[in-house]
Amino acid sequence: MSNEELDSQLSAMFDDELPATECELLARRLARDEQLRARWGRYAAIGACIRGEQGLRLGTPLAGKVSAAIRREAQATGTPASARGRHGFLNPWVTAFGGLASAAAVAAVAILWMRSETPAMVAQAPPVRHAPVPAATDVMAPAAPRPVAAQAANPRRPSREPDSYVVPAGVTQSPMLVQPTELANYIVAHSAYSAPLMRRNALSALVAADSAVPPATAQPIAATVVTGK
Amino acid sequence: MIRPRAAREPGLWLAMTLASVSAFAADTPESWLDRMNTALATRNYEGVYSHWQSGRVETLRIVHRVIDGVVTERLESLDGSGRQFVRAGGELTCYLPDQRTVLVEQAPPGLMPAGMPKFDSSVADYYRLSSVGTFRQMGEQAQVITVTPRDAYRYGYRLWIERSTGMPLKTELLDNDDKVIEEVVFSSLSMRHHIGDDEFKPQLSTTGYRWLREDGAPAVSADAPGAWANIPVPPGFHLTAQTAQMMPGTPDPVTHLVFSDGVATVSVFIQTEIIRSSPGQVRAGLAQVGSSSAYTSVQSGHKFVALGEVPPATVRFIIDGLMHPSAAQAPH
Repeated sequence: MSNEELDSQLSAMFDDELPATECELLARRLARDEQLRARWGRYAAIGACIRGEQGLRLGTPLAGKVSAAIRREAQATGTPASARGRHGFLNPWVTAFGGLASAAAVAAVAILWMRSETPAMVAQAPPVRHAPVPAATDVMAPAAPRPVAAQAANPRRPSREPDSYVVPAGVTQSPMLVQPTELANYIVAHSAYSAPLMRRNALSALVAADSAVPPATAQPIAATVVTGK
Repeated sequence: MIRPRAAREPGLWLAMTLASVSAFAADTPESWLDRMNTALATRNYEGVYSHWQSGRVETLRIVHRVIDGVVTERLESLDGSGRQFVRAGGELTCYLPDQRTVLVEQAPPGLMPAGMPKFDSSVADYYRLSSVGTFRQMGEQAQVITVTPRDAYRYGYRLWIERSTGMPLKTELLDNDDKVIEEVVFSSLSMRHHIGDDEFKPQLSTTGYRWLREDGAPAVSADAPGAWANIPVPPGFHLTAQTAQMMPGTPDPVTHLVFSDGVATVSVFIQTEIIRSSPGQVRAGLAQVGSSSAYTSVQSGHKFVALGEVPPATVRFIIDGLMHPSAAQAPH
């Protein structure tokens, strides 16, 4: 099967238009075909971008190009990109932006690995004892702490803990303050102090991360650059 | 399949059997976790495992050797980026073929290797440990242990610990809804008596790669003890280490504080005089890599980063406390 046919099948699968029998065959192929899995993940991320799902950020210049291309295509067709929903996003992408495939791959990786806090995360945030007073900031929503009676519903809450819990103030979408490379360096430094199991898992996540999260800086300070060792 | 050295050496088999009988005498969840940590930190092994997180699966190979307490380890991605990390004592070398770059990180002077957590009564205040039973995993008998947090400031764990070696064959990281957010499953694991140096050499050619090597971090003294000791942290966490170190891209030493509840660890990095910000202006943001959460705040020329294998709310608690020390009293 050619790549175009596979793209078509993936597109149909995303659009719920692929017959069940073909779905099953494609799923089996996904399980054993690494390149196809990568393509699937890329399309899923692109679809999420177009749908404007919360919690996903485009954090690289290449990602910006992808966004711009999507916007241009949307203007050309008179359809807001975000209004496309999940239907039919793949074919326009494949036909109009095939040349940006590599950029899309980078963008997909970036947005999959670097996530800002989502409303869902805020909702899951545990109560904070003696919660700090929210500051008047440019990104933090200065929501007043409020008591939460429903905390008793959490079966894990130890009964000996006091009742004076408050919910942390919500955080809105915010610009990334730590670049991926810098974050990776912090993880490496932190891992030296983690327990063996956590250290292995943290480094595994870094090894598994794609190009968007390299644990190095492009222009390191106090470092020696030697080429061709 | 596990191919223990004992299977090839009868004398060792007897010794290990006696040790196993002794260990099983204290067949508690705490004893299993201690055995697991001891095995991870002291045994030689190599294996292949899959790492699943956020719908992504990566296959990795690990080779781990301990000689006189010095750990040498190679972690290699078998698909995807092809990255390899080699740790030899205090030096971590990251081979990044996707970047055509090699990064060499030196541990800061005086860094003590992470101690193995001891599952004592203080841990029991914040985690509930349970032994679920014995199950087959990878063709071996594995003791399944659950580590369930008693509040939402930490993650839970479900561990399949191989009964004869103490090695975790499978681990699951659980969020506060018992949903699996990260999984590591070994498909092969071999306990080795001897692992040669050759097995820690990177399996790639670095010709033409750019090498980034720390120029030997200058001796840096941490801030005076206690300067940051009163940072409000979630219940159960306490300061376990404090140092200052040079990090790539930072012209000045970064203060590094480490807090632990006995299971999870959180690092706080404090960087000064680098950020352009107006007095009184505060910016904050959360990022995640794998199961690690990082919360950053910038205020008055300082950047604070809290990072650890904990839920986002935990790192945010710490940074909020740093930003507003008068309002956030230490809860312990």
